[in-house]
Amino acid sequence: MKKTAAALGLLMVCCGRTEQPAPAASPPAAPGRGLKIALIAKSSTNPVFLAARTGAEAKAKELSAQGTPVEIAWLTPPQEDGQLQAQRIAQAVNEGAGAVLLSCSDAGKVTGAIDDAVARGVPVMTFDSDAAQSKRFAFYGVDDIKTGRSVLTELATQMGDKGKFAVLAGNQNAPNLRKRVDGVKEEAAKHPGMSLVGTFYHIETPQDAAAEVVRVMNAYPEIQGWAMVGVWPLFTRSLLTDLDPKKVKIVAVDALPVQLPYVEKGLAPVLLAQPVYLWGSVGVQTIYDKVVAKKEVPERIPMELVRVTRESLGSWARQLKDWGFTEVPDAYLKM
Amino acid sequence: MLRKALDFQQSGLLIVILLLGALLTLMAGSHPDPATGRSVNNFLNSHTLVQMATDASFFAIMAVGATLVIISGGIDLSVGSVYALAGVTLALVLRRLGAAAPAAIVAVGTLVALGVGLLCGLANGLMVVLLRVHPFVITLGTMWVLRGIAFVASKAESILVPPALTAVAKAPLGLGGTLYLVPMLVMLAVTALGAIYLTRTVMGRHVFALGGNPEASRFSGLRLGRIQAGVFVISGLTAGLAALLGAGFYGSASCGDATGYELYVIASAVVGGASLSGGKGSAVNAMLGAVLIVLIRQSIRTLRFDQNYEWIVVGCAIIVAVVIDQTSARWSARRLARAAVAVRSMGA
Repeated sequence: MKKTAAALGLLMVCCGRTEQPAPAASPPAAPGRGLKIALIAKSSTNPVFLAARTGAEAKAKELSAQGTPVEIAWLTPPQEDGQLQAQRIAQAVNEGAGAVLLSCSDAGKVTGAIDDAVARGVPVMTFDSDAAQSKRFAFYGVDDIKTGRSVLTELATQMGDKGKFAVLAGNQNAPNLRKRVDGVKEEAAKHPGMSLVGTFYHIETPQDAAAEVVRVMNAYPEIQGWAMVGVWPLFTRSLLTDLDPKKVKIVAVDALPVQLPYVEKGLAPVLLAQPVYLWGSVGVQTIYDKVVAKKEVPERIPMELVRVTRESLGSWARQLKDWGFTEVPDAYLKM
Repeated sequence: MLRKALDFQQSGLLIVILLLGALLTLMAGSHPDPATGRSVNNFLNSHTLVQMATDASFFAIMAVGATLVIISGGIDLSVGSVYALAGVTLALVLRRLGAAAPAAIVAVGTLVALGVGLLCGLANGLMVVLLRVHPFVITLGTMWVLRGIAFVASKAESILVPPALTAVAKAPLGLGGTLYLVPMLVMLAVTALGAIYLTRTVMGRHVFALGGNPEASRFSGLRLGRIQAGVFVISGLTAGLAALLGAGFYGSASCGDATGYELYVIASAVVGGASLSGGKGSAVNAMLGAVLIVLIRQSIRTLRFDQNYEWIVVGCAIIVAVVIDQTSARWSARRLARAAVAVRSMGA
């Protein structure tokens, strides 16, 4: 036991003596010297964040070709965990990241880590889900309240402004999703014919989300519409067979290749797509502008939603293909 | 002397940790510090080591308590949920308390977190003893019940805790900057207390006796129910303490906190050599097991492996550690048996 304690003590004492002077070194953000950006999204099992990674890496490649090497370090936890995200922010700084690009699973949990990173000279930018009380320098994403309102407006149109609907809300701790739910409820108050059955949270995996929808439909067969503030269950094909497009309508946020059949079949006549590729692309560009080009950047960079319907399916499919998505069905590309 | 040192299992774990640490130091590369421009090793720097100790501390504190349960022959799957409920309750109580003196906030927060942990542990222990149901089943049930209560109580909200609590969990202790040693120090203190309890007290020996041979313990007149309930109380207390530290350190508490952590906690104990059949384990080893797991996770990032492989690597490492531990235990048993035979033959 004494040996254990002594060895641990030795290890910790050694920590303070490991920083060696390097006279030639200069701050990492200097032009031409390279910029390492830690990309920490909410969950590496959520495909929308994989699209953000693709966008970030493509932008990094493009910027690197201009002279300053830009590297993306993918530090996204496998599952949503604000505490783990806070740890990953600290790890990124410890390992020499020049900036952090973050989508917050739990703003309260990561605010301290963001502030610590900034205190150590590493700028942090958020996307998708903000930590507004932190010292992050910019946020890129949709206006979540407005997004929630848009979802309900579209759903009301599809349901003829009457009937019972439910909200599928994903992870209850994500501040952006909570705001979207608030937006849905605010807008629903303006539609007296629309009756909210309930708000349903779930683990943010496609199977859990699809199972939750089916469970709720079994419990409330009178539901005629779903306002989905994320698109999780539509990553599976199961609802195409479990739900009848003549009886139920879905309006959801996001539209990736695998969800397009829901638009084609009419079960989700409208998807409000976040250009999720741009989370990474715009995020990296903004960080580059601030850190390398030393430009002023706005604190809030609004992302506009894209309305995807059967009519716009072809153009949206081609856009996804251009962004590097490989699983876009040919049939939609030809539309 | 070296041989004697190597016989201690914690020495083996320490050697593995130090070797892995040395390997990572050599392979990590370096980066210039943004503030000073000095070259810093990507692994062997004060921030990374303290960060790893902090990451490990939340598992390790709970692992010390869970190890007691495992030594007694039980298991506690509810520690993650106790953590969540204790964190949420303390955040709600402190929110209700409103503006108060920092000392009062810390005192109330500590009492609430430890109180909730104690009550949850007591509930687990009493149900195991009185209902005579295997701890796996009871704590599997309370794992869901307690997280459900946290969910309902918090209305699924992430609740901020007062800065006074964060100021304690992130106290600079004269180091300044962003080096926070409090979680690590609490982990070391809890480990020391756990080690003293297990190795230097009669109650600790009773826990080993219960796990090693329940029938013999019963015939020896030990109050098994009291011992069994006691280890669950300690496990609940350590989860409450970890929640207090976690809520303070990260600045908020939510019902989703520590989801899945029970597996890391049990893995820490098992990597540290605790036997799931009871009668074997150590607080120091559980802490070192937690450090090793965090080190393995860290190595994936430091060596720039694809982090999507993290679960595979951690899972394989746990299996390898346990197999090595069991093999070494078998060799030790054989060596002891041979020595006993030799002593008998010399006597004859």
